[in-house]
Amino acid sequence: MSRWRYFGLRLLLTIPILFLAMTLVFMITRMGPLDPVTAILGPEASGGASEDIRQRLGLDLPLWRQYIDFMVGLLTFDLGQAWVAAQRGTPVTALIAERAPRTIWLGLWAIMLPIFIGVPLGFYAGLRSNTFGDWIASFLGIVWQAMPNFWLGIMLLAVLRQTRPGNQFDFLPDWYELGPTTESLLGTPDLSFIAIDWFLLVPIPTMFDFFGFLTALKQITPAALVLGSALMVSEMRIGRTAVLEQVNANYVETAKAKGLKGRTIVWKHIFRNASIPLVPVLMSEISILIGGSVIIEVVFGINGIGQLFYQAVLQGDLPVAGSLAFVFAVITLFFNVLQDLLYTLIDPRVGFEQ
Amino acid sequence: MAVEQEVEPTASQSEAILEVRNLQTAFYTDRETIRAVDGVSFDVVPGRTVGIVGESGSGKSVTARSLMRLIDSPGQILQGSSIRFTERGTVRAFAEKFPKRTVDVGKLADKHDPAVLLERPDVDANPRTFGKRDAAEVGLAEILAAGYADDLGIIDDTDCVFVTEGSTDDPTAGFVEVTRTSGEAKRLMRGGRIGMIFQDPLTSLNPVYTVGNQIKESLRLHQGLRGKKATEEAATLLRAVGIPDARRRLKEYPHQFSGGMRQRAVIAMALACEPEVLICDEPTTALDVTIQAQILDLLEEVQEERDLGIIFITHDMGVIADITHRVNVMYAGEIVETAGVEQLFANPKHPYTQGLLRSIPGQQAGEKLETIDGQVPTPNEKATDCRFAPRCPKAFEDCEKVHPESVSVDEADVDHTAACLLYPEELSRADAVEYHRQRGADE
Repeated sequence: MSRWRYFGLRLLLTIPILFLAMTLVFMITRMGPLDPVTAILGPEASGGASEDIRQRLGLDLPLWRQYIDFMVGLLTFDLGQAWVAAQRGTPVTALIAERAPRTIWLGLWAIMLPIFIGVPLGFYAGLRSNTFGDWIASFLGIVWQAMPNFWLGIMLLAVLRQTRPGNQFDFLPDWYELGPTTESLLGTPDLSFIAIDWFLLVPIPTMFDFFGFLTALKQITPAALVLGSALMVSEMRIGRTAVLEQVNANYVETAKAKGLKGRTIVWKHIFRNASIPLVPVLMSEISILIGGSVIIEVVFGINGIGQLFYQAVLQGDLPVAGSLAFVFAVITLFFNVLQDLLYTLIDPRVGFEQ
Repeated sequence: MAVEQEVEPTASQSEAILEVRNLQTAFYTDRETIRAVDGVSFDVVPGRTVGIVGESGSGKSVTARSLMRLIDSPGQILQGSSIRFTERGTVRAFAEKFPKRTVDVGKLADKHDPAVLLERPDVDANPRTFGKRDAAEVGLAEILAAGYADDLGIIDDTDCVFVTEGSTDDPTAGFVEVTRTSGEAKRLMRGGRIGMIFQDPLTSLNPVYTVGNQIKESLRLHQGLRGKKATEEAATLLRAVGIPDARRRLKEYPHQFSGGMRQRAVIAMALACEPEVLICDEPTTALDVTIQAQILDLLEEVQEERDLGIIFITHDMGVIADITHRVNVMYAGEIVETAGVEQLFANPKHPYTQGLLRSIPGQQAGEKLETIDGQVPTPNEKATDCRFAPRCPKAFEDCEKVHPESVSVDEADVDHTAACLLYPEELSRADAVEYHRQRGADE
């Protein structure tokens, strides 16, 4: 099957890309403007103390040695230790393991928006093109997309704060009392409602607390709403165009001429074809979500890897910043591979050479 | 007024399984109304091929889509159009399946007197439809045919099966009015009774499903076949349309088929629905010449096997000569000439047909190919003149004043009609013009 050979080829191609990404990370962190010694000791550092630190970090070694150490470290998931501030000495893997679930929690709910609202809404608008419903959806979509993420985040926070009794928006339900009571709009969601044991790379939940789940969900909702909204709109608009393109396709007329029901034509014939252009957009934007989560985590005070990355860069914590850049690259590559997989599954023409 | 063919009950016409009468399809846009099909009438007979030929924009494809009920908004089949499916098995099956949508015309005639109905003030009985005729002469069947029964409230909105015998249990004569079908009746008619294959085989199959999947979809829908049986039948069909190694081919996707093979697969898909009538809308236009000939042969073969009535639409006179038995020449939404294929090619009567035949390439080597100057007009209103007159070399003054009706070209050949003021041949020009004027006023 040439489809699967094509997929295998794409999978193999990720290896050189990964190496290239790792090398880039090394070059940027080592050759960039950040001086770790200054970062650790402050701008006045000099003399023996700074030499000492240089030696301890291995910065006195020749660059090629540093490069090999770095690459081997990444490949064996020995990401080194944090250099600066509060986390000094903590292994980077531990830092990531602690914070990544929060970012995943955020991204998971953010991606629900494009998948379960954006795509269906776009398909709806496409199937009823040039009706009032389509017009409203498209118009609101453009307005929504015109609002930058961070601004939307700040506005949402401002409105939600004012839902307390006696405030400007108290005609809305009090957000703090809605569902599980929360103290603050900001902050890191508590993910201890679930405990997971790993069995041969398969996660097995050993404990689940529904109330805790609700609380964590409520805590993440405003951030996820903001993070997912931009994606939601772009999926909507692409979904609309994709469906419109398919509705007028000749095979749809053939299907009608067969006597198929309108519902079958839409669900079986149109949707699968229309979803083909959605896949790359969704996948590439999931990668952007990670970048976007840096801003959102800062705005909403979520202690995830986005914020960790932000602090590490500001403080010149090279092992953390470099490792996270590597992690982001791996995630992006993963979604690229996933995209190829989905393509291969949805579209039989993939890998077809004439 | 619409072109009404002289319906003389010849042997072939009485066997017709699909009778199209006064079909009018219009598209409404903000700027204009386009009467794409304007009063087309013809019959389809099992085992025979009726051709519809004309330039681009003459309304051929809209005619085909109207028969399939594939006209979407802003298009509309106008009131007074009639597409009757008279094949007995179909009428019986529909009467059984939709007893509530079946009308016994005999019983209806007992209940309602046409003369009384036409006097009713709440109904705008178009005087042009029944002319100056005495109300007593107008039968109930005619009122039904003209599409007023709905307005008169004597039949329901959804009624679409009409039987003429007293008992609905065994309707031996009757028809399904295709223009009135809706919902399930419409879907059963599509594909199951009237199949259609389209111009471009490259795009008329869904690229993401296997050919087998798409054929089996038809089999499940119209023959209730599933699973292994369906696969078996689909392979048989592929073999029947000349695709070797059918079993393996079923599992392949459309992009793995060549153009000719795809058209064969599309034909197999249409045949899987077991239609009585097959509409072929330029099925060979997108294919190269050798493949064209193969597909035409294949169509003739399956026609013979299944006694299919074929409507063949093309702008290619050569293909028309090759495959059809009877030809309708369309121009600007109207049928301007109709005749048996030999008769038409040997003795074309309408100046448009004559022009078309002269512009077939390759007849006289070395000579400059003749063309018909100008373009097909877009009809926006009911015709009050001859739409071909501006391009017609034989046009005279009256052509712009009188709408030519479809008349027999001469007394000897009632099967050959033309919508042109030059005919009937035996009349003098002035008499012929008067004859057309009179016919137009009557209808």
